Amino acid sequence: MEQRSGERKEEEQGAPAAGKSPGTKAVDEGWAWGVVLHFFLVNVLVMGMLKSFGIFFVAFQEDVGGSSERISWIGSIMSSLRFLAAPLVAVVCGRLGERPTSILGAGLVSGGCLLSTRATSVPFLCGSMGLLLGLGFACLYQAAAVMTAKRCRTRLAFSNAIARSGMGLTFLIAPFTQFLIDFYGWQGTLLIFGGIMLNLVPSSMLLRPAAAQPPENPDHGCLMAKKDPETLDGCLDETTHGEMQLRSAQELPTTEGLAVSHNKDVSGSETMEKPCQETMTKAKRSHKFFKQRGKEDSQPLLDFSPLTDPIFCIFTWSFLFSHLAYFVPIFHLVARARTLGISSMDASYLISVAGVTEMLSQLLSGWVADQNWTKKYHYYAAYLVLCGATNLLCPLATTFPLLMAYAVAFAVFCGGFMALVLPVLVDLVGVQKLHSYLGFAAFFAGIAAVGGPPLAGWLYDYTQTYVCSFLFAGACALISPISFFFEPSAQKWKLKKANLNNSPGFSWRESAVQKSKDGV
Amino acid sequence: EKNITLDSATRIELSCRLDSKYSHLKSLQVTWKRGNETIEHISKTDDSRGIQLNIVDNSKLGSYYCTVKGEEGEISARFHLQVPHIEGREKPIIGYVGDGAIMICKSYGYTPIAWTWYMTNGTEQIAINDSLRADKYIINRVSANVTHLKILKLTKEDEDVYWCEATFELGKSKGKLKLKVLTLMVPLKPFLAIVAEVVSLVAIIFLYELYSKRKEKCAEDEREFDQIEQL
Repeated sequence: MEQRSGERKEEEQGAPAAGKSPGTKAVDEGWAWGVVLHFFLVNVLVMGMLKSFGIFFVAFQEDVGGSSERISWIGSIMSSLRFLAAPLVAVVCGRLGERPTSILGAGLVSGGCLLSTRATSVPFLCGSMGLLLGLGFACLYQAAAVMTAKRCRTRLAFSNAIARSGMGLTFLIAPFTQFLIDFYGWQGTLLIFGGIMLNLVPSSMLLRPAAAQPPENPDHGCLMAKKDPETLDGCLDETTHGEMQLRSAQELPTTEGLAVSHNKDVSGSETMEKPCQETMTKAKRSHKFFKQRGKEDSQPLLDFSPLTDPIFCIFTWSFLFSHLAYFVPIFHLVARARTLGISSMDASYLISVAGVTEMLSQLLSGWVADQNWTKKYHYYAAYLVLCGATNLLCPLATTFPLLMAYAVAFAVFCGGFMALVLPVLVDLVGVQKLHSYLGFAAFFAGIAAVGGPPLAGWLYDYTQTYVCSFLFAGACALISPISFFFEPSAQKWKLKKANLNNSPGFSWRESAVQKSKDGV
Repeated sequence: EKNITLDSATRIELSCRLDSKYSHLKSLQVTWKRGNETIEHISKTDDSRGIQLNIVDNSKLGSYYCTVKGEEGEISARFHLQVPHIEGREKPIIGYVGDGAIMICKSYGYTPIAWTWYMTNGTEQIAINDSLRADKYIINRVSANVTHLKILKLTKEDEDVYWCEATFELGKSKGKLKLKVLTLMVPLKPFLAIVAEVVSLVAIIFLYELYSKRKEKCAEDEREFDQIEQL
């Protein structure tokens, strides 16, 4: 009863605070769009740099010398580190926060570009361009993705799709790079690129921390009331059962050695005596609870818990295979068109049509997923199955119109599932642990990205036809959603484990979490 | 019209043949010309529609015409016998002051006997002697078909048109390359412009955040005051 009155009081309190909150809410939405803009820019510049590496390749070959193989190492290090360094970046993000990590990433990228202008040999370039740029890209990407997930709760899929549509604009970067190289040489081009990448610093500053900071001075208990609307709008599911957790918060054992949280407990009880509304202190204590939890989670330097989580295995399995299914046809579409006798002009037309279709389909898929007609991973699995079926039918496409139809269908389904990767992960895991999960998932995807092209090439060499690559991609796309069939049983297993291990209060929270997640 | 590339002395047979739909035409006269002179004393092939040539030196290369005269008119075809073509680079090679630049010349398919590099000094072409100025020019024959000219310590005066000449048994062939030398200031200007823009954006965002934090603090103090009053 006390709880109910507490809730009612919070609503009342929310009203005068809400008098302020449309203003802050509007500002908040503005910042959320800022985050989406930043993610968009990251996609454009990072992908643009990766794709225009081929143009640098030619320039390097002539000027710096070195065999094709050695120079292509630079490109592979750059693109694979973007994924493989993700767990490391997750740790850094946890320690520093997203905004400093993003600024660090932007600094690394532009520093790497600037350093590469002085390069005289291929190993130097491997280090300066491959290593530094790869690490920088990983930092930028991880920070931006997690921040988007944290900020845009209700429309995550659509915002993610908008940001990813930046990849569609990268086709402009390649001719631009060529123009710069003709005008300034590759050193001048790298210098200018360093400057352009530096633009990511102000856009990283848009990544304002979303969660309210606990007040430095515990006397400002009312601060929380104002900051509550911000996080309330976003954290609807968490604060509703935040109320329920308040009872269990006191029962929850604080982890040993966390003097800070102990102090917060003490200060929490102090503020209970302050003449502030009871609800505000309750809200504040729920925030303190989360701060405690946050501190608990970040204590281990590298959180390996995702590796033992079945949900993570499910997600990574599908992520891995879906990436393989995505990359391989892209590589071999043009070659297949050529072997069928289609001119290279028409073949590149295929690629551009596919690119534009993918962009549009990402936006549509994001919007549809946000309508919440069903769980997001149902869409994800559906797109994957359709994509796999399309790929398996590809060998039947032997003329230009049929190949165009295949390209369009493939782009539609690929755009569909690509836009939903992040939202599905957020649905499965929640935002608090997103960093470590995303980090490890990206790591495994990186292994696929590194192994994918050589595997595809080997397939071609072995079978002397590109048909096999498409069949392989289709098979991968069909295998990947299989793991989602296990998702409900995995959730139940997790719940049972949590019930067995922890106190009843804790398991009650878990079931509350489950209910809220199902509701989303 | 046909281009035939020869790099060493060979015996070559050129023949003009009419399409099978014209095979019913009789009394055809085939004449071969080189330039304006008709070739008469060359050994003709069996069906006497072609000629055999022995190409031993540069003077024998050039354009050969065959003209087939019939009752209704005449048709002619042209053969160009030439040395292999060397391609330079259309776009200028960019080098920076103080750095080195590498100019590459390739011969496709045919191996030249020797390579020579020339620089254009005004109107005349001067051969580059790398032993004379070993600290400045390095000529490297990387492989049989590829030659590199490396110019060290570039200065503005090195901005020039360079020629790489391949010597074949039957003649010489040149490729044109242009070198452009830039100072570091040239790309630095756009870079500094971009950095200025970045710094101003950072300053704007930073100031806005400071301003909004101050506004928040004022509003909080106000509200706290109100609530203390209420209670």
